[in-house]
Amino acid sequence: MDTQIKRGILDVCVLAAIKNEDSYGYKIIKDLKPYIELSESTLYTILKRLENADMLTVRTAEHNGRLRKYYRITENGAKRLEAFKSEWKEVMLIYEFVCKEEKNGD
Amino acid sequence: MTKYEFIEALRQGLSGLPKRDIEEQISFYGEMIDDRIEEGACEEEAVEQLGNVNDLVLKILKEIPLSRLVKEKVNNGRRLNALEIILLILGSPIWFSLLVAAFAVLFSLYVSLWAVLVSLWAVAFSFIASAFGGIFAAVVFLFGGNTLPAVATIGASVCLAGISVLLFIACKFFSKGVLLLTKKAVLKLKAALIKKEKSNE
Repeated sequence: MDTQIKRGILDVCVLAAIKNEDSYGYKIIKDLKPYIELSESTLYTILKRLENADMLTVRTAEHNGRLRKYYRITENGAKRLEAFKSEWKEVMLIYEFVCKEEKNGD
Repeated sequence: MTKYEFIEALRQGLSGLPKRDIEEQISFYGEMIDDRIEEGACEEEAVEQLGNVNDLVLKILKEIPLSRLVKEKVNNGRRLNALEIILLILGSPIWFSLLVAAFAVLFSLYVSLWAVLVSLWAVAFSFIASAFGGIFAAVVFLFGGNTLPAVATIGASVCLAGISVLLFIACKFFSKGVLLLTKKAVLKLKAALIKKEKSNE
């Protein structure tokens, strides 16, 4: 897949994983596993990128006597998700068009 | 490998990075291990699931811009004493010019690599252009009633077009190779920056 597209999709996947409730690194990887295989180093880069883009915030909280980082989606992040949905409606239309063309070509 | 060993190996591997980055990476991977253990994995398994430490270090390096590594290196340099500063200034006509020369040589080698590529592309394009030119000339010849020269120029045009297609393939191949080489060189440079830091400690 084109790297730019893949990067955008990965960002959206991580945002979607934290959209309903705050989540932490390992849980994000587990939640996304059925859809997309994410390595720890990739997740780290995405989280950093999203944090720098002000799409999520990080807080550290105690859990079972140790510290754990929780990620929360920001308004910007939620907007990005909404934008993704409408962008992909267009992409799906193009997809249908491409498939139809193939059929006609047969 | 235990969690402690993994974290220490990671710290060693990343030792040229800014302190804050190292701590952040370590707490991130430490948390990943702890969460796996909490879920029922034993320590050994949890560490294993993160993969090889050296591969991880390389992946992390790839994500960090070279400029940041160089900046960190410059900022982290230890303070020089008076004698060293005087020697550095006195020796500057020699070491500075040598340094500049070394950079110039490396840079010119790299530029000449691209220059070769650009000229190859230029040849490929000029062949295509002359192929079209040849066809045009052949048409002119035909209308002038010179059949033989027309056939000859068409033949030459087809040959040129064929050669240019081969050249295009070769150019694309070499361009990709040089790009790959650039990426590898940058990674090597990053690794070298970090390694030097290690030997300083």
